[in-house]
Amino acid sequence: MRERGSQLFRRHRPSWRAPVELLSFGLYFLCAVLLVLSRIGHGVIADTRDGLVDLSAPLLEAASLPAIEARRAMERVRSYTAAFDEIDRLKEENDELKQWEWRTKLLERKVAHLRSLLNAVEEPGLAFVTGRVIADARGPFVRSALINLGRKDGLRIGYAVINGDGLVGRTVDAGGSVARVLLLSDLNSRIPVLVGPAGVRGLASGDNSSELQLDFLPDGAAVYAGDEVYTSGSDGTLPRGLKIGVVAGSAGALKVKPYAELNSLHAVSVLFFDTPALARADPSEAGVPGALSLAPSDRPGMTATASTPLPVATATADEISGGGGRAQGDP
Amino acid sequence: MTKLLPALSVLFAVIATAVPWGLPADATFILPLVVVMMVFCWRAIPGTALPPLGAAGLGLLADLMSGGPLGYWALMCLIAATVGDRPGSLGQGRDFGALWLIWIALVSALGVFGWLLASAYYFRWIDWWPIAFGAVATVVLFPVVLYGLLWIRNGRIGPARNVIFRGSS
Repeated sequence: MRERGSQLFRRHRPSWRAPVELLSFGLYFLCAVLLVLSRIGHGVIADTRDGLVDLSAPLLEAASLPAIEARRAMERVRSYTAAFDEIDRLKEENDELKQWEWRTKLLERKVAHLRSLLNAVEEPGLAFVTGRVIADARGPFVRSALINLGRKDGLRIGYAVINGDGLVGRTVDAGGSVARVLLLSDLNSRIPVLVGPAGVRGLASGDNSSELQLDFLPDGAAVYAGDEVYTSGSDGTLPRGLKIGVVAGSAGALKVKPYAELNSLHAVSVLFFDTPALARADPSEAGVPGALSLAPSDRPGMTATASTPLPVATATADEISGGGGRAQGDP
Repeated sequence: MTKLLPALSVLFAVIATAVPWGLPADATFILPLVVVMMVFCWRAIPGTALPPLGAAGLGLLADLMSGGPLGYWALMCLIAATVGDRPGSLGQGRDFGALWLIWIALVSALGVFGWLLASAYYFRWIDWWPIAFGAVATVVLFPVVLYGLLWIRNGRIGPARNVIFRGSS
């Protein structure tokens, strides 16, 4: 027993541990320094992070494939089990949409007529490129996603990211072939919005939960649950009219329920909406012609020709606010 | 290769934290905490090597992948590595129950510390629920992970089991 005890003593209390203790202390100190540098947004940290994330992108992409396929398979099984209900629902929705189509065509003609009377300048279309989410970022700090598009594809920091349901977030870091998208639900996300048919101005802020807070509404604003929320574009970085979600909750604690399912994103599109504000925020690409001018062919790896294999497309802001643009080559 | 097993298995878990599983927002804390738990377990299993430097490096990788502040998960892994190496004076006769209790205490402390650190980082109170949920989930998962790591180490839960599970024959 005594011998066993002495063995334990030898194992856990070596005669000289100073280098080990010193190393541990050094590591704790390094972590603290990194946290502080990260907090103040030191450039070296950001650059190193971008570089390393770029390096790890192929690995992440490969690792995410099985998970994506598994998710897709599960969704398929779920959809099979609810197929008949879904068919009934889609039939009803189709009937409703046919009526809407007819009304929309009427309105389109009317708008075109009024625009011609006013001699209004045509709104430029928006170019976009579509990519895939290759990694999630989960933790106490961020709700973000890595996508397999980067500066090589013409991305820069601040671009709006959408999927078929609506706005998803915006790019906050861009490496050569990967970019990080800050999701709407992130603690740091702030989107100026318009609410409801009256277009009441407000601010949709993320709080790391599945719904967004709706702040800075004018006193007595007529905002009700179910009202649609869309971007106002007043921050000068996002296009106006991108749909975000609907108002939920009760008066005094209004929330926004995003249309996009932010927990399970797959394919997303990045809108090339260049503005002076973005050029100031991300001056490294200042020399590249802006996408407001809408020239996908100006960007490396992209052309505006119909033969382009990339799902690069042009669409008007109205088309995009309706749930994403149409890829080139699509019918 | 055997010496690299702890680091490789944790690296695998770190990569898994970044994979888009489509987990709900409340469950986002589970996978990173499992990484911390693996570091703790590897340090607690006798005869394995996962030095603090390796643990911090893997935590740093988790920080990079998550896009969060650098140093956060590195710090968590480092604390787990420090505590895992010194679970009281149980020595080689550590039993499973005691190890589990130590993990419960550690993950509770880490949860509170992590929540305070995150709140201080952002100058606002962070939602505590995902952290608490993650901590509870790792407490439940602890036996599975520990058995899993022993299996990884030996290819089966054999002789090494005895040094952890006191009283088993």
